[in-house]
Amino acid sequence: MTSSTLTKPSHPSTPPRSPKPAKPDLTFKQKLARFDYRVSPYLYIAPFFILFALIGIFPIAYTLNVSLYDWHLLKGQGDFVGLNNYVEVLSDPFFWNAFRNTISIFLLSAIPQLIIATGLAALLDQALRGKTFWRMSILLPYIVAPVAVAVIFAQIFNQYHGPVAGLLEAFGLEPIRWAFDVLPSHFAIASMVNWRWTGYNALILLAAMQAIPRDVYESAALDGANKIRRFWSITVPMIRPTLIFVVITSTIGGLQIFTEPKLFDGRTNGGSDRQFQTIVLYLYELAFPRRDFGRASATAWILFLIIILAGLINFAITRAIRTADAKPVPIASGPAAAQRAKGAAS
Amino acid sequence: MKTSRRKIAASVAGVATLALLATGCAASGSSDGGDGGKVTLSITTFGTMGVDANYKKYMEENPNVTIEATNLEGGGAARDDAYAKIAAGTGLSDIVAIEEGWLGTIAEVSDSFVDLRDYGIEDEKDTWLDWKYAQGTDADGRVIGAGLDIGPQGLCYRGDLFEAAGLPSERTAVADYFGGEDATWDRFFEVGQEYKDKSGKAFYHSPRFFWNSFVNQQEEGYYKKDGETLNIEDNDVLKDQFVKIVDAEKAGLGAGLPGWDVGPEAKEGKYAVYMCPSWMLGIVQGYYDEGTTDSGWDFADVLPGGSANWGGAFLGVSESSEHKKEAAKLALWLAAPEQQAASFELAGPYPSTVEGQKLVADTKSAFFNDAPIGEIFAARSEGVIAQVKGPEDSNIQDNVFGPIFDRVSQGEITDGETAWKEAMKLLDQIVG
Repeated sequence: MTSSTLTKPSHPSTPPRSPKPAKPDLTFKQKLARFDYRVSPYLYIAPFFILFALIGIFPIAYTLNVSLYDWHLLKGQGDFVGLNNYVEVLSDPFFWNAFRNTISIFLLSAIPQLIIATGLAALLDQALRGKTFWRMSILLPYIVAPVAVAVIFAQIFNQYHGPVAGLLEAFGLEPIRWAFDVLPSHFAIASMVNWRWTGYNALILLAAMQAIPRDVYESAALDGANKIRRFWSITVPMIRPTLIFVVITSTIGGLQIFTEPKLFDGRTNGGSDRQFQTIVLYLYELAFPRRDFGRASATAWILFLIIILAGLINFAITRAIRTADAKPVPIASGPAAAQRAKGAAS
Repeated sequence: MKTSRRKIAASVAGVATLALLATGCAASGSSDGGDGGKVTLSITTFGTMGVDANYKKYMEENPNVTIEATNLEGGGAARDDAYAKIAAGTGLSDIVAIEEGWLGTIAEVSDSFVDLRDYGIEDEKDTWLDWKYAQGTDADGRVIGAGLDIGPQGLCYRGDLFEAAGLPSERTAVADYFGGEDATWDRFFEVGQEYKDKSGKAFYHSPRFFWNSFVNQQEEGYYKKDGETLNIEDNDVLKDQFVKIVDAEKAGLGAGLPGWDVGPEAKEGKYAVYMCPSWMLGIVQGYYDEGTTDSGWDFADVLPGGSANWGGAFLGVSESSEHKKEAAKLALWLAAPEQQAASFELAGPYPSTVEGQKLVADTKSAFFNDAPIGEIFAARSEGVIAQVKGPEDSNIQDNVFGPIFDRVSQGEITDGETAWKEAMKLLDQIVG
């Protein structure tokens, strides 16, 4: 169109450059740049998605396939049984026992963990001497392999020889059957989880706290808010997205707990009477000692769905909180407010 | 801003690529090929088998062979490991030690292991005890496991504690006190009660171990002879003994200890007897410093209810091995009488070959108060019944009776009838 000189131009006042960018005009370098601009980002993220498809999606789909068959661990695929494996798992009292144990251990670990992690982060957010030292120290438990943690804690909570038993004895208290009674065993396992993850979560929350502009605190302080008030009215609301992230990751981790209960009493799969058998341990028992891969796979899918459900509940709560959050928070006017506005602008 | 994002993207991509490379490498395996040249053979064993010195010897005699050995802590771990690798179709070591308790399950997929007849095991068939050789043979007559050790059981007892309680403490006197060749379980409980009355302490570790001995003493154990039909529910012989055990627990004869072996309590005198299969000797010893001779532990030629065998291993060569011939050669060498004898001297697993047993006939154990263990085990292995094991045998042992006995030991169930009912319920849930 632009190259035509003989035909009557439809618009005599056509500007020298057409609004539509003409493709042939681009040089190779420009094309490359365009290609780079449009495609490169996908290429950069592609390895993750390729890996994810390979080690994430494929196993999930394959597990679904296995769960629909009678599938012996060693002998392999048997007859197609539809949803029968799911029915069997859901009607198995051991599954519900494992479900209760998992939720109980999760609650016993997640709640204290979040509270302590937030508190620790708030402490570390203060002006301390040797910041890095303190921060590194709380991360230390995270570096220790979970297997080692489990072995050590199994010793600590040994009903007969453990230091906790010794302490109880010293105070003249009845020994606690850590590996035999339901609640003490859950407590012991939750303490392993807490020991390992509290510092880690505290660091994530600390990062969120550090991102809060300092002048917000200053203005609040000028307005007479004390430390506790500042913590509850500034820190907590402003780290809420991070808190939610921590909640979600610990939910996912908590529902999949395996190593700690497995090694708490290594010869059983979660206690001699399944006192602390979690869903993943139940799955493990089905898959290995009992060699029923079909039912184990069905359990894996049920767990997957439970986690998705938990995620959705988390998401719903998050949205509810965000809506509530959208209301403007009344802030005192005056120099402090001006200061704050200035801070926000910069 | 833009550059930093790119940098992140690039590093993420880089890390991902590295991960891909790493997984790729892991999948490709690590055995060096080459005929006649250097060969690396992997072997997975468990517990205290006393084979390390044999590996060393073999490598000295065969400089082209390197042995990569993995030893897992217990039979249960070895079982799960083997199952997972058979299921995955890859990853089994060239040579795998298989425990008697789960050999039945492995036999269901016996094509994962080579037929050792192809490598000349038949020529040496007569070396093994007949029943041991037969156990390693599957339903089609393929020999998938070369017998390594057997587990005849004798009585480990604390001579010092017996003496303190006013019981005989010298080993032949102890054997006679329990009834010698006619020792019965009833007498065992009687002696236990006497010990408890005199010392105020528990007599035995926990019931699951001698329950196991008892089951192994029967013509037919958890399964009928066909290896398929369960033999528990209406089995009055098992039930009677079970109820007696519950009563003994109620009387406080058991120390109610957890764990699958003697445990650190062996040292503390929390109990005084243990039905020791040969391979348990090394484990008891393992809780003490090397060279200990004053532990108080002794070993008597007696077992309530007659002879019993508990466990014993086989060596199989995996079908996925790249060096089947070399691996079979090593497996058969390790299972040969001389090497079996060497393992026995070192860690206690008793030879499954006649010749091997002769070689160790004069062996004494300094740890067990100089007990003539070679002689005692030879006597203890007479009359052992080679019981047919079914596919769920070790599962029933570990996950049905194990938990029930734990509950009984902890005082949760005190009535034999109720405990048996609970056990049957559990059996039904787990195996049914």
